[in-house]
Amino acid sequence: MQYVTRESAFHRLHPLTKLIFAAVVVALAVLTGDTVMLAVLAGAVVAVAVAGGLARDLVRQVPLLISLAASLLALTVLTIRSGEIICYLVPPSVPVIGGAFPVTVGAIDLALAMSLRFAAMLFAFQLLVISTQPRDLVHVMDRLRMPVDYTLMFLIALRFIPSLQLEGKRIHEAQLARAYNPGRGLAGKIRGLFPIIIPLVSNSLGKATVLGLTIDLRGYRSGRRTPMHDLSPGRADVAGICCMGLLVAGYLAVLLV
Amino acid sequence: MSPETGRETALSIERVSYTYPGSATPALDGIDLTVAKGEIVFVTGPTGAGKTTLCLAASGILHHEYGGTLEGAITILGKDVRDYRSMGEIGRHVGVVFDDADAQLIFTTVEEEVASGLENLGVSRQEMHRRLREVMEATGITGLADRAPHTLSGGQKQRVAIAATLALGTEILILDEPTAELDTEATGAVSALLRRLADEGTTVLIVEQKFDALAAIADRMVVIEGGRIVQDGSPAGMMQGGLLQSPAGAARHPAPAAALPAEALPVVSVRGLVHHYDGVAAIRGLDFDVAPGEIVAVVGENGSGKTTLVKHFNGLLRPTEGTVIVDGLDAATVPIAQLARRVGLVFQNPDTMLFAETVEDEVAFGLKNIDSGDPREPVDAALREVGLLHRKAAYPRSLSRGERQRLAIACVIAMKPKVIVLDEPTTGLDARESGRVMEILARLRQDGRTIIMVTHDRLLGEEYADRIVRMEQGRIVRDGKTCKEEPCPRLCSTSPGRALFTASTHLPN
Repeated sequence: MQYVTRESAFHRLHPLTKLIFAAVVVALAVLTGDTVMLAVLAGAVVAVAVAGGLARDLVRQVPLLISLAASLLALTVLTIRSGEIICYLVPPSVPVIGGAFPVTVGAIDLALAMSLRFAAMLFAFQLLVISTQPRDLVHVMDRLRMPVDYTLMFLIALRFIPSLQLEGKRIHEAQLARAYNPGRGLAGKIRGLFPIIIPLVSNSLGKATVLGLTIDLRGYRSGRRTPMHDLSPGRADVAGICCMGLLVAGYLAVLLV
Repeated sequence: MSPETGRETALSIERVSYTYPGSATPALDGIDLTVAKGEIVFVTGPTGAGKTTLCLAASGILHHEYGGTLEGAITILGKDVRDYRSMGEIGRHVGVVFDDADAQLIFTTVEEEVASGLENLGVSRQEMHRRLREVMEATGITGLADRAPHTLSGGQKQRVAIAATLALGTEILILDEPTAELDTEATGAVSALLRRLADEGTTVLIVEQKFDALAAIADRMVVIEGGRIVQDGSPAGMMQGGLLQSPAGAARHPAPAAALPAEALPVVSVRGLVHHYDGVAAIRGLDFDVAPGEIVAVVGENGSGKTTLVKHFNGLLRPTEGTVIVDGLDAATVPIAQLARRVGLVFQNPDTMLFAETVEDEVAFGLKNIDSGDPREPVDAALREVGLLHRKAAYPRSLSRGERQRLAIACVIAMKPKVIVLDEPTTGLDARESGRVMEILARLRQDGRTIIMVTHDRLLGEEYADRIVRMEQGRIVRDGKTCKEEPCPRLCSTSPGRALFTASTHLPN
């Protein structure tokens, strides 16, 4: 997940507008556990992505969301008994353990709510990241008087996730070329990670010093930044803020009723 | 004033010694070096001589960021480094390009990377755009403006790192092996740019193993060895003094392989190979044969498709179209583990593979993966071949860069593959280590192995290979004995740098 160079309506918005958008979605997602409202919220984020021509980028997260939803469903079904019983994982006709692990409406509701909440937050965060250059985010976070260390941590995380993935792939290839074969069973699988994890961690730590020095030498702690591009908000930002205001008002109204 | 030039001093290092935390021996030992404003000083020396530590000292990094014991005085633009409040303050006067290009690229597009420092300088937007355009054109990265840094080749990353530092417009530039992964043309362009900047008043301290292009633009050349300066003079004078000598014992024209029947089948056969990355063609229709026992150099500019081609030989990449046959096996379908018995691949950076607790375990890893029985004897044989038998109990990552490279080769040859592929086998190595690596390859070929080496260094191919295959934009544009019909870079009487240090201990100080 990182910045994508493209001409989209969302790209043209002021970084602060996009930051507010992500913050609003996260806040609204946390405020309610109602599946319908969370579905509306996630749907609204997807609608914004479609309108901005960024829907295809969100689709890449769908496999992750599906696996997360499946895990949450399994977890809630195994641990929560709330509301009407829909069925049993072990049919009642089975001797001795029959009727174990009832699947309840409450468990499914909770799994659905958590999955939708996560989807809304992930999509909103992704829209922010893929449409905003990190240096513009740094400018905005500076203006909001965020501590520079947190801003830089955020920046580095964005930049180095793909680099780590690439380094991991390179190390995996190097070990495959030596006929590396991940072990069998859980213990084997864990042991099999060492040839990948050890070089990955060692190489990453080696880069950390240079990275920190580069940030210092480029003056990122000077606190006097002049954005290369004009970052003044435009009409689209005003319209976007108004839409978000309406969304928040409607959401709160439904919540309070 | 600089005693050498009579000009004002930009950088002064007086009796500086430095010992890293936990180390018993000093990395720098009584260094005295003065660099005048507008001067280019080219520092070179063997691996582990203290060149990088000298860069860290000269830029104030040792004082501000490292522990250890630092003695002596370092002055930047007349002010002691201890009097600068932080590296941020030093960064307004000194730009540093580190040897690890990847680690100093922070942003998500190339243009953003180069512009990032400019935004912190407090200059006007117009000036920022002017400098951005100028630096990107001068370093040849204008076409990469929208690319993500992590998708670039090693050479492209180095050019972006150089551009991001040059854009800052600092009075002093300190560059640690900035052209190690650049091809001849890009190195020449960077050298010319540095010369122009120096003529305009920028002070340049540059550390490199490459000799040709950089010695040609330098005002002074300093040779460092064992943490001490052993030579300091004009590059031309040092060349005339007979510094350029062949690596001792290196097989510059390796012995031919055992005679093969004329009708011997190729050990690698590529037909109509096409490879696409996400719809973008990296290999565009390629036919290529390698005979058993040949040493073939695959050369070309950064991004020409060399690495993509050789990754097909052991199944790390599968063809989008075409066939790749290796020792009778179809590399498009045979599992990688099976191909690993026939083809060994030594990656450019040995740290990509090193993970074990001891050198012995590291070499045994591949043997255990292919169930080749008791690994002790082949491990010893492979370590003996690369001259590391005495280090078999050492921790692999504690070895020097050259030793790690030889260990990576041992890991591969222990598995006794018929074909050994090496990606940039001498990048970052000094003359002595490069010579050792090439000697090993020559011996392996005499044993009947086939060697394919990928390199951006055409001269390396000319010296050591039987055949040079030149690639451009995913195609083979030349396949022959040598590239001698192409113009030779300045001062390239032999491979750059590689020949420089083998006899340096005999030099008069």
